[in-house]
Amino acid sequence: MTENVKLTWNGKEIEAPKGSNLLQAALDNGIEVAHYCYHAGLSVAGVCRMCMVEQDGNPRAFPSCNATCGEGMVVHSDTPKIKAAVEATLQFHLVNHPLDCPVCDQAGECGLQDYYMKHGQYDSQMIDKKVHKEKVQDIGKNVMLDAERCILCSRCTRFTSEVTGTNELGILNRGDHAEITVNENLKNDYAQNLVDICPVGALTSKDFRFKQRVWFLEDVLTTCIGCETGCSVKVSQNKNGSYRVKPVYDHGVNGHWMCDDGRKIYKHVSSPTRLSAASENINGLFIPVDEAGILNSLSDKKLKFILSTGLTNGEYQNFFAKIKGSNAEVALYSLPHEGPEFDGILKRGDKNANLRGAVKAFDQAGFDHSQAALDKVLNSLTKSDALFVVVPEIIYNEDHFNTLIKKVEKAAVALALTPGESLASMRSFKYLLPVPSFLEKDGEITNFQGAGRELRKGLSYGETSKDVSYYAGWVNV
Amino acid sequence: MKDSANYKDYALLSYHHIPGVHNLDVFERAGGYETMKACLEKDPEAIKEEVKLSGLRGRGGAGFATGVKWGFFTKDRNAKKYLLCNADESEPGTFKDRYLVEKNPHILIEGMIISAWALATQKGYIYIRGEFQQQAVILERAIKEAYAKGYLGKNILGKGFDFDLYVHRGAGAYICGEETGMISSLEGKKGQPKLKPPFPAIKGYRGLPTMVNNVESLAAIPWIMRFGALAYKQWGTDKSPGTKLFSISGDVNRPGVIEVPLSTSLKEIIEVHCGGMRDGNNLKAVIPGGSSAPVLNAEDSYNVRMDYEDVAAKGSMLGSGAIIVIDDTRNMGDILKWTLEFYHHESCGQCTPCREGTGWLESVFKRRESGKAHKSDIDLLDKTAASMRGQTICALADAAAMPTQGMIKVFREELEAYVSLSGKK
Repeated sequence: MTENVKLTWNGKEIEAPKGSNLLQAALDNGIEVAHYCYHAGLSVAGVCRMCMVEQDGNPRAFPSCNATCGEGMVVHSDTPKIKAAVEATLQFHLVNHPLDCPVCDQAGECGLQDYYMKHGQYDSQMIDKKVHKEKVQDIGKNVMLDAERCILCSRCTRFTSEVTGTNELGILNRGDHAEITVNENLKNDYAQNLVDICPVGALTSKDFRFKQRVWFLEDVLTTCIGCETGCSVKVSQNKNGSYRVKPVYDHGVNGHWMCDDGRKIYKHVSSPTRLSAASENINGLFIPVDEAGILNSLSDKKLKFILSTGLTNGEYQNFFAKIKGSNAEVALYSLPHEGPEFDGILKRGDKNANLRGAVKAFDQAGFDHSQAALDKVLNSLTKSDALFVVVPEIIYNEDHFNTLIKKVEKAAVALALTPGESLASMRSFKYLLPVPSFLEKDGEITNFQGAGRELRKGLSYGETSKDVSYYAGWVNV
Repeated sequence: MKDSANYKDYALLSYHHIPGVHNLDVFERAGGYETMKACLEKDPEAIKEEVKLSGLRGRGGAGFATGVKWGFFTKDRNAKKYLLCNADESEPGTFKDRYLVEKNPHILIEGMIISAWALATQKGYIYIRGEFQQQAVILERAIKEAYAKGYLGKNILGKGFDFDLYVHRGAGAYICGEETGMISSLEGKKGQPKLKPPFPAIKGYRGLPTMVNNVESLAAIPWIMRFGALAYKQWGTDKSPGTKLFSISGDVNRPGVIEVPLSTSLKEIIEVHCGGMRDGNNLKAVIPGGSSAPVLNAEDSYNVRMDYEDVAAKGSMLGSGAIIVIDDTRNMGDILKWTLEFYHHESCGQCTPCREGTGWLESVFKRRESGKAHKSDIDLLDKTAASMRGQTICALADAAAMPTQGMIKVFREELEAYVSLSGKK
């Protein structure tokens, strides 16, 4: 452990590890310091010049992002000199910045807007021609670049060189003609992080832009279920739907970032084609049906369940508690691996969000979670069986799942429990039953490290109460 | 026939009158490389001490004492480190280094070998301005000669001391004359200054200790080591000892490079060394230290002594010793316009106040071209320039702001009249 030192910032006593970043120490202690180029996950550039501070005993102001904490330092970011400097530097940032705010997606969470409201000189002195740069550039991987809005903080170029090592972006030209250049279209799997770290509206998400104003959105803090990493994320949503996923800093798991695959995990939750009510397959059309009718068709059938690896630990427990003492058979469908085991950053080949939790629950309840057990259940289906299949929430390889689905037809009644949209192949099922998505339940999943990761309930767009264990209860009916 | 004042036996130009001194054999016949040979017999610490004692101040512009800078350098003789010679002379008005190396490249090489011995650097680079193609060729030829003689390379003069020297041509960027910008460029990156700390003496080229010195500073080392620090201090003042090269341009009869003791009066430089004002015109102003130095009015120009303290006392700076003489036929507005255009063009674009500020200063000052100018623009210009100062990684923002503010201070009325000349040009 590094020792902590005490220092004073604007008269407030704070503690920070010796030699750690001075700006970060202030931010960690709730002191607001304007900054654009500094990002805790990247190297220090020191170019935006917003975080200037004065230190007692030092005649020159300096950027706090390039300084380290020492015992007894007395630092000020609120002196008249610093305030004037920040105000002037902000004005410089705005000299060539277009007045795009009404049509800019960043509005509402834009560093320039925020600090302008706080430090701005409201009357413009700029009557000169602005420097124009290329505006709507599709640079790949769902990222749009507007070079004119860019304040050249270099966060994105540092990200592509330091985090992904792919170096797609660079800065070309000098002075106020400098602009982000795209050496080649983005090809890394973390490109959406560029949108997050861009302090202004220069990099926006093609997926999110023009869909919602950010001030109409609320964030729900939860965990990504895209793979076994279990990154901390927040999903922005409102009553009309969910709109985007962003990473939340988590020291132990994902740090500052998340992968692009994880950005799509919300899509099914508020999809207009999401299954909303129990439905019966009538010649390929799914028509809402009464639960009583379904229950009727289950009488004197032997119930078999195939669970997915994306349920919460609580759901597994409740499920096994419900079927305890019955003759129901249970197997586990785990998703096939995709890509390399680990890409060196965050993404893992094992796409099963809660395989560890599932295995533990199976073991405790005395059921076999192996592939052999799954095959046995599928191959022994007869016309006296009713088979419940819990459809995985995120499916990367539909073909793999379809080979399983083809076999369910041998059962007398096949029922799919789905938290999302209906796949074309689901016509093999007699009934589709909705269950809550990951955004509509509280619970815990266990990631690859064996760490408990929390899922939290946000707004609801579909079935929210009848989960897998509710249907497990039918064993006794 | 040139003024004999140019050929006084000073430190830097003492070989310049010898025809063909750019050839190693001619240079050696005149006594060149003797000091180097003698120095390799000496204790490196004694050399550093002598340089420190001489009070030699860095000739690149900042005027930081060379001996003190050397003192920051690691003393571990086996550690990998570099000696970097700054020959990226790009300050408008400055052409002394170019004159020095094109006539006498060996004095620089000799100075670098002595410095490398003192600092125990195994490799050296001469980073030369891209436009100085001819000078780069001259230097490369001279280095080849020195290699052939065994003055460079492995085991120099049997001392078990290795020193390789290379010439690296820049691509024509003012900012690469800033030492960390130069290091970025040398590393193959975009020529942008790096954050300090760490300073290059601790962590420079390729992350290793790097000593960056100006051509003129390094070229002065052989003389100091030959005649001693005390002899060097016979010239100049306590705080500005020695001689200095001045590049004089503008409205004088004989512009050029001269070597005079520091603290020579500017009046003497203009009247004696440069043969007086062009066509007998009246002196209007002098920019005493390159385009980034604030301008001096005629009265101050005739009173100032060209040393670091006195020029600073008059509100300007000695800088690299580029004296731009302006007579009363010139409009100060034009001069400021060209200056602003230059800094706008040369800002590397890294730090916001400089990137946006240099461009905006130019736009504000050129509002007359679109008919939007107003007298009060000068106040805006002054305020904007003031807010650029001390806010950036390197001194380029200050280099643009200082002459702007200096010009406004001395010639406000003329500038106000200049911008008020409305209508498109």
